[in-house]
Amino acid sequence: MLGFFKRAAAPEHACELGRTLVALALPAGAAPPAGCQAVVVGTDGRTRRLQAARRIEARPGETAYAFHPGPYTADLLPFAAAPEIGLRTSFAVDAPDPQASQQRFDLYLAAEVTGRLELAALAAAIESTLRHELATGGLELPPCTTLDEWNAFRQGLNQLLYMRFGVTVDDCVPVDLGDTHDYARALAERAEGQAEAPAAQPPEAAAVERFDPALEDARALRRLFLELPCLMCGTRLAAMPAAQEQFHRQQALLQRLDLVSVAVNAMPALDLAAPGQPLPAEEQLRRARHSRRACVSLDEAWALLARLRQAGEAALPQLYDEAERIVANLEADCAGRRSITAEGDAS
Amino acid sequence: MSPMPDTVLVRCPLADGPVLTLTATRRPRAGRAEVKCAVPDDAHLAGRMQQVVRLARLTEPRFDTRDQVVLSLDRRPPPGERGWELAAVLADRMVRGLLRPQAGLLANGWSDEWERGRVAGNTLGAASAAQPGDAVLGGAGLRHLGLLSGHADPAAAVSTARAWFPLHSGGDGGMGWVEVSLHPLARQAGQEAPDEEQTIAAPDQDAARQLAVRQVLGGARHFDGRALGRWRTVVRFGAEAFTGNSWELALVMADRLARGREFVPRGRLIASGCSGAWHAGRVDAVDGVAPKCALLLREAGPGDRILLPRAWQEQLPEGFAEGLRAQGASVVCVERIGII
Repeated sequence: MLGFFKRAAAPEHACELGRTLVALALPAGAAPPAGCQAVVVGTDGRTRRLQAARRIEARPGETAYAFHPGPYTADLLPFAAAPEIGLRTSFAVDAPDPQASQQRFDLYLAAEVTGRLELAALAAAIESTLRHELATGGLELPPCTTLDEWNAFRQGLNQLLYMRFGVTVDDCVPVDLGDTHDYARALAERAEGQAEAPAAQPPEAAAVERFDPALEDARALRRLFLELPCLMCGTRLAAMPAAQEQFHRQQALLQRLDLVSVAVNAMPALDLAAPGQPLPAEEQLRRARHSRRACVSLDEAWALLARLRQAGEAALPQLYDEAERIVANLEADCAGRRSITAEGDAS
Repeated sequence: MSPMPDTVLVRCPLADGPVLTLTATRRPRAGRAEVKCAVPDDAHLAGRMQQVVRLARLTEPRFDTRDQVVLSLDRRPPPGERGWELAAVLADRMVRGLLRPQAGLLANGWSDEWERGRVAGNTLGAASAAQPGDAVLGGAGLRHLGLLSGHADPAAAVSTARAWFPLHSGGDGGMGWVEVSLHPLARQAGQEAPDEEQTIAAPDQDAARQLAVRQVLGGARHFDGRALGRWRTVVRFGAEAFTGNSWELALVMADRLARGREFVPRGRLIASGCSGAWHAGRVDAVDGVAPKCALLLREAGPGDRILLPRAWQEQLPEGFAEGLRAQGASVVCVERIGII
């Protein structure tokens, strides 16, 4: 009888939400902690948001996440080669957009998070996305940045993080990280490490072993399965090109993306060459590498979508060229994931 | 962006005199392997070349599966010869537009760590001194592929960065580069920091330029605040003879890049400028707007960042910035170094 009035115990670490933890899976029946919102993720990747401060009612097979919208602050290093200059970025999980059928952050939780999302993990993901965009030229942050270039960078960063993670950037300023990142000391440690290099061979071999093909492949395919439909939806919504030629390119791209999506949905199991016929371990490794590389293309596609949102008509030919590259990479990696032997090297 | 060439030739000089020619072509992939290699009478070596090129491609941030690159050697190299490896990697990058194509480039280098972009050395031995100045030789001349666009090796214990500056003193001109290598300065506890100018060396330069290099770097580091007493510095120049002091800005920027305190350009950093007060971070004007701008328009490639003194802003030729942007480079006239 007393059970009626007993409050569900707060799950462990729940008080870290909003500080070092962004999202946490909750057991059924628990109430989300104060200030948090709840999202229920089904096994098929569908998500729904729950009303705040209600008990979480998850059906069997569903996982309920509570997340704290923030704001959070992280120091991002935009360039690996420049560890003493960083970007102090504060961001928050976006308020729900009533027009969208699925919030981007919910999709991120469903596709890439298992169990809990640490702030450090999210910041690392944001940082690697930012570095990749800077290295490939999607964003520009050159030496002696002018005010105009900085504003263009900020707009691109806002759009990128919104499209990729569903977070909005409140503030982003360049900071001198000399206090926490001493490059001279890092180099001295590297020199000491290289002096012991002959002994350091075995750990490298161990690093190869740590790549678990089954786990990596399952993660990558889940991302492809869940995110490709949303990407296509975003591309259709993004911009209707006015020029006839660009329109045809867009249509052709969407058609190819459809085919990639079908290929992903019907991807054969990692460890089978044919029904009942196992695949050798090195071929499994190759397949997992292909699916992981397809995820890189997926990240690039989100970044490109962010650029498409901002681009004028004049920039479209270049962006569609980039899109054709990404789709071609996706097709090649899906074909590689599907095939049972490495393609003929001599051709 | 300038149209990419379909064919690139890179030549590889060998120790005993002959020169190998490596040809790279690009064509639509159409379901074939991304790299195809051919060596006359040696299928094993062709396989090795494909492996080298694939490993070197792992250091690139973006990949494109739409094209196939076909590499071929004109004849079979002597047994055990590995100097062609660098030529193959450079040809593969040039034909895909990642490096600026250079007609008649000479390259020789080998490595066991192409996947990290390292170049271990060259096979020329004593003959390396006889090569022309613009030959790309692995080892002391080029330890890391990123250095071709001035970037530091992300795993090395010595931070090395390059910046370029336009020359117009010696008749035909061209681009010179300055390279700054930084070693962390080991200091015992309680020991006084040595005088900053004593830790800076510029070997193979005359006394006047050594002094100038020391004063420029000392001043610019003073401006930076957190730079004094932490580094041992070696400065090298690419060009043998040049005059004037417009290299100062390039030197200062290369130093900032090497110390990890500056945003990194995607391509090369090209700068022209001097200063009477580096300790205030100010950039003053230099001579030769017109010839230098014409040179920059010819030389700039995708991702390059060009820094010019603020005083040139009004004197830039018509359409200069637009022309550079069309080539993928960006230009800015700066009053002082540092962000905004």
